[in-house]
Amino acid sequence: MSRSNSKILFAVLLFALLALFSSALVSAQDMTEVGTPRASTLIVDQLGGRINNPTQTNPYQAGTHMSAGLHQLVYSTLWEINTATGEQFPALAAEMPEALNDDYTSFRVTLRENLRWSDGEPISTADMAFNIDMILNTPEFPYSGFLSQVIDNYEVVDDHTIILNLKRSEPRLAYTLGVHIWGDNFRMVPKHIWENEDPATFQNYPPVGSGPYTMTDVDPNGNWFLYTKREDWQHTDVGQIFGEPGPEYVLFRFYGTEERRIIAGIQNQLDIFTDISPEAWDILRDGNPNARAWHANFPYANFDDPCERGIIFANSQPPWDNQNVRWAMALATDIKSVGLATFAGILRVSPLAVPPVQVIHDAFHKPMRDWMTEFAFEDGYQPFDPNYAVDIAAILAEQGVEGLPESEEALVDLFGVGWWKHDPAKATEMLQAEGFTLQDGAWHMPDGSAWQITINSPSNFEVQSQRLAFAVADNWRDFGIDATVQQMDGGTFWSNYNNGTFDAGSYWPGCGALPDSWDLLDAFWHKRHIVPIGQPAPGNAMRYESDALSDILDQIAELPSDHPDTIPLLTEFEKQFIVERPWLPMFGTSKFVPVVTTYWDGMPTADNFYEGPWWWWSLFKYHMPFIQPKADS
Amino acid sequence: MQFAKFVVSRVITYVLVIWIGITVVFFVPRFMPSDPVESMLGRIMSQGAYMEAEQVEAMRATLTQAFGLEGSLADQYFGFLHRTFLSRDFGPSLSMFPTPVNELIGRALPWTLALLLTSTIISWIVGNIIGLLSGYKSRWLSSRALEVIAILVYPIPYYITALILIILFIHINPIFPLFFSVRGDAWSWEFISSAVYNSVLPALSIVIVGFGWWVLSMKALASSISEEDFVYFAKLKGAGEGRIMTAYVLRNAILPQVTVLALQIGAIFNGALITEILFSYPGLGTMTYNAVLQADYNLLMGTITISIIAVASSTLIIDLLYPVFDPRIRQR
Repeated sequence: MSRSNSKILFAVLLFALLALFSSALVSAQDMTEVGTPRASTLIVDQLGGRINNPTQTNPYQAGTHMSAGLHQLVYSTLWEINTATGEQFPALAAEMPEALNDDYTSFRVTLRENLRWSDGEPISTADMAFNIDMILNTPEFPYSGFLSQVIDNYEVVDDHTIILNLKRSEPRLAYTLGVHIWGDNFRMVPKHIWENEDPATFQNYPPVGSGPYTMTDVDPNGNWFLYTKREDWQHTDVGQIFGEPGPEYVLFRFYGTEERRIIAGIQNQLDIFTDISPEAWDILRDGNPNARAWHANFPYANFDDPCERGIIFANSQPPWDNQNVRWAMALATDIKSVGLATFAGILRVSPLAVPPVQVIHDAFHKPMRDWMTEFAFEDGYQPFDPNYAVDIAAILAEQGVEGLPESEEALVDLFGVGWWKHDPAKATEMLQAEGFTLQDGAWHMPDGSAWQITINSPSNFEVQSQRLAFAVADNWRDFGIDATVQQMDGGTFWSNYNNGTFDAGSYWPGCGALPDSWDLLDAFWHKRHIVPIGQPAPGNAMRYESDALSDILDQIAELPSDHPDTIPLLTEFEKQFIVERPWLPMFGTSKFVPVVTTYWDGMPTADNFYEGPWWWWSLFKYHMPFIQPKADS
Repeated sequence: MQFAKFVVSRVITYVLVIWIGITVVFFVPRFMPSDPVESMLGRIMSQGAYMEAEQVEAMRATLTQAFGLEGSLADQYFGFLHRTFLSRDFGPSLSMFPTPVNELIGRALPWTLALLLTSTIISWIVGNIIGLLSGYKSRWLSSRALEVIAILVYPIPYYITALILIILFIHINPIFPLFFSVRGDAWSWEFISSAVYNSVLPALSIVIVGFGWWVLSMKALASSISEEDFVYFAKLKGAGEGRIMTAYVLRNAILPQVTVLALQIGAIFNGALITEILFSYPGLGTMTYNAVLQADYNLLMGTITISIIAVASSTLIIDLLYPVFDPRIRQR
């Protein structure tokens, strides 16, 4: 080929490439890559990665991914939660359920008026009745089995009133059929569409819902989902309660690895992050001056995620069936070093069975602080250290951390009420009293064998629990126990948990977002859920059998959340829990869930705390009226 | 007659390899210490959907039945063979229940094939041309320069190369998109242009990392063959340089390269896991990886069965075609 021919070929190739790319290149400043104006599109990090079945939007099928906007924006529930106030509120329902008898087996439920489906049809009790029948008659739905245990029959009174008659007492019906964490399985779908379909196989795409947005486009590869504000938003519960949503479009996007998400944030291509590491937050903060974490300054992270992290034990097996051994492990743990190694001290400690989220912290942790300080073993030893917050603040200040609160009260609000003392001498005394021996710096079991502990840990997810496992293992090795961490993928991690095939593990069986966390405490700790090791547990995976704890739970079960005895009984539960020490809760979960404010005002923050930063919960739709486009964007 | 015997024996081996492979694929996931039902429940609960114990138990029973995990292992195995070979149906995905595995694979496979087939072939052609020039025309400055580049690039781990490309062309100088997004109706100009635009960087990363090996291996082969007597003989007979290089050196050196290429093309059905993760590229790699993590037996069996069939088929094809390329084998 001659030189001139080569030049012509090169020019043709270059032109073809430019022509090819020119139609794909868009102005990143003005439009999103899905063709919506950037200034009116709220871009949200898609939790859970790419979704390979993006048009499966049937909310009752097992494999439908709800957290890519479907339950946040398209479906409303009967009752929702506000994590800032710690209260439930009526959403599609007009009011909280009204009990019609003393044993809580019959309730009147009233729907709001003037609600419509996103195709304009009115929402009525006929839809609710249809949903109940459909779920009960579709055993393929995972939710069907549970609802059939709860609902006996119903009576439709009028278009907005229905009476539910139950098979069992349900003092907390708003928990059973409404949201008290993350979301709820009872998501009403329109009768006029679904009655013509086979619900077990119906794809439901595009979904017609009750929420303030409609799903208008999806990436066939599952990398993004686009939602558009309903023109008739006044006919949704969000519109009626809080007013018009701000963003015209909401785009849930999967960017991939954390590095790519951070680049997206720096380039103003991502407004809301679901969860990043503290190190990634430092890079984002340096790269984009409009990036904002929950707190404007240290500790940046939000501490109100509804599950606390710690170490569980196989309580039905020796040596973990011994209360004194469990207590010894608490005293062998230097909680400050664990906190620093896990998330650089950006954590709030919790010695209780419920997480230290603000409303629960105020209801249990802080009121019980004096009791915990006075709490003593039979020999008079007082294990509680109420000075954790002050001490960790001093350590962080020494490390150069600025902006720490000064008063003890504020420090306790931030870092928690305290934890158990780090007292290896007392731990040694307690273990030796139980027959353990310390030989050449290594602990041996009462039968003479070397004491080895394996701590199960998540391998590629839940980074806080992963890091915590290693930090605790380090502590226990320093104490003389051969402690190792076994990292596992999700399937193995949960199979081991539910089957009880673990020695110890870094899990989080302490959850709640409302002061009344009875249902979760019951699921985690009531003895009636215990099954033999090797068989999947319906609850109480730790196989902890306590008559005292179960009796208290049974008493609370008969009371509604707002009964005056509910909180005092839950406090009694916590006291008994401390005495028996069935697991070691350590820290609430810290979430780095930053936002980029280049295009938006009104994102929730610690200074603007109308709701927590739970973008992956169904309550995200109630953020929308507060989030407004910036005037200068 | 001898060739017919050879073909029959190879086809029997081919069928046996596939049967043993998919039998292993069926049993191995079932001996993993994880369970699709527990994995699904764990995923639901780790998102924050904490349920009452009764609800968990009811859901567990429903999922076990729906996933078809109730029969004996033998029943499940024969059901699997029947579905796979007679109905060509891998059943529903367990982690994306009830979406059929065939549908999921059908969606991901074209992306994997388009990316890996193109980049593997480009890498093979470019690498072999440079390798041939380096081996046969080793005194040319351009040959040596290209060889040095190949030697420098080859040992860099793929992950590093891909990250460098991301930093250079997505972060610092955003020529290529951060966000994998293909738009437009299938096979429209918008679809094709955006697909190519989104795929350039991942393809480039594979070509860069892959071509080094082809250069080095072809160079070694070409250098060695250039010293053979028949090449001297051709030169003495007055054959032109170009003809010697292509008809004498290349034709002999290319045989092992074709074999490796065929195996690589078979293996592309595994997907390119790291490429897909780093570039958020949709394909079989991440789908298989997630199937392992979530104990999605059906999806795992679907993707791996396709991969086994692809590798076995490409090996069979190359075995049958080898006599066409190499007359020495044909005579044997």
